[in-house]
Amino acid sequence: MRYAEWCIAAPTLEADIAAAAMGLDDIGHSRVLYGSLRELGEPDVPDEPGSYANVPYLDRPWTDWTAFVAANGVLDSAFTLMIEALAGGNVEVLRSRLKKMLQEERYHAMHGRSWLRESRAAVAVDEAWRDSIVWIGPEDGDVDELHGKGILSLGVRELRRRLEEQVSGAPASTPIDWKARDPVRRRIVPGGIDELTLSMLQGLAEKRYMPAGA
Amino acid sequence: MGFARVHDEVQEYEVFARKTRLEPLRQVGAVVAPDDELAMAYARATYDEERWVEMMIVPKAAVIQLWAPGEAEA
Repeated sequence: MRYAEWCIAAPTLEADIAAAAMGLDDIGHSRVLYGSLRELGEPDVPDEPGSYANVPYLDRPWTDWTAFVAANGVLDSAFTLMIEALAGGNVEVLRSRLKKMLQEERYHAMHGRSWLRESRAAVAVDEAWRDSIVWIGPEDGDVDELHGKGILSLGVRELRRRLEEQVSGAPASTPIDWKARDPVRRRIVPGGIDELTLSMLQGLAEKRYMPAGA
Repeated sequence: MGFARVHDEVQEYEVFARKTRLEPLRQVGAVVAPDDELAMAYARATYDEERWVEMMIVPKAAVIQLWAPGEAEA
């Protein structure tokens, strides 16, 4: 959704179109992932503000193009690496269903990489890195456990290493307070999406523009 | 917006695609980008509306034009 917010605000017309296309891709990816979860017997979570387990980077709309670039180059790559690890794991539903997603994400990665080279996005990149590392989680945590079971084909170290390789950079070396991390929402910073974002996700914002009785 | 400079240098790429294996390649449009990677991402984002089996981009600068029949040498 954050991508879509930039579909009329990116620095070039091509980037506008790419933002819209990548936003649509990611909506499709969410649908596949939620569908897979359901199929794997995971119960639906209630649609409430606190239940959204998004990274803090997505809490508020981005006010600067560099924020888009860092999300596209770093966070999107981190998410894709996890999808890759799932597609390479031993859960059949995920092995077969996530391939198209990875194909589409190749274009997101190219878009992100190229813009990262172009933009002076250092501050946003640091923030995106931090959120990515916290989201992946600590070594010997749930990700490494799932890797041990073969559900994920990559563990924490390998995920981090590949992310550094893809982004051609390393995260800032500020220490991470793992004890403060919420293991379910995979983040340290409290809070979450704002009311406006929530109403858009729930489709309430669109309803306001509907004619009465429609 | 904190981003004033767009790209220092860009080039134009012609985009070619075919819908089926049997169909010849057709020029479907063009994109402008600073490098091949971004040009690929833009071409796919812009020209993905229709079904396609093959898509490729060519830097416009790499296209060599022949003289049209009867055209005088410049």
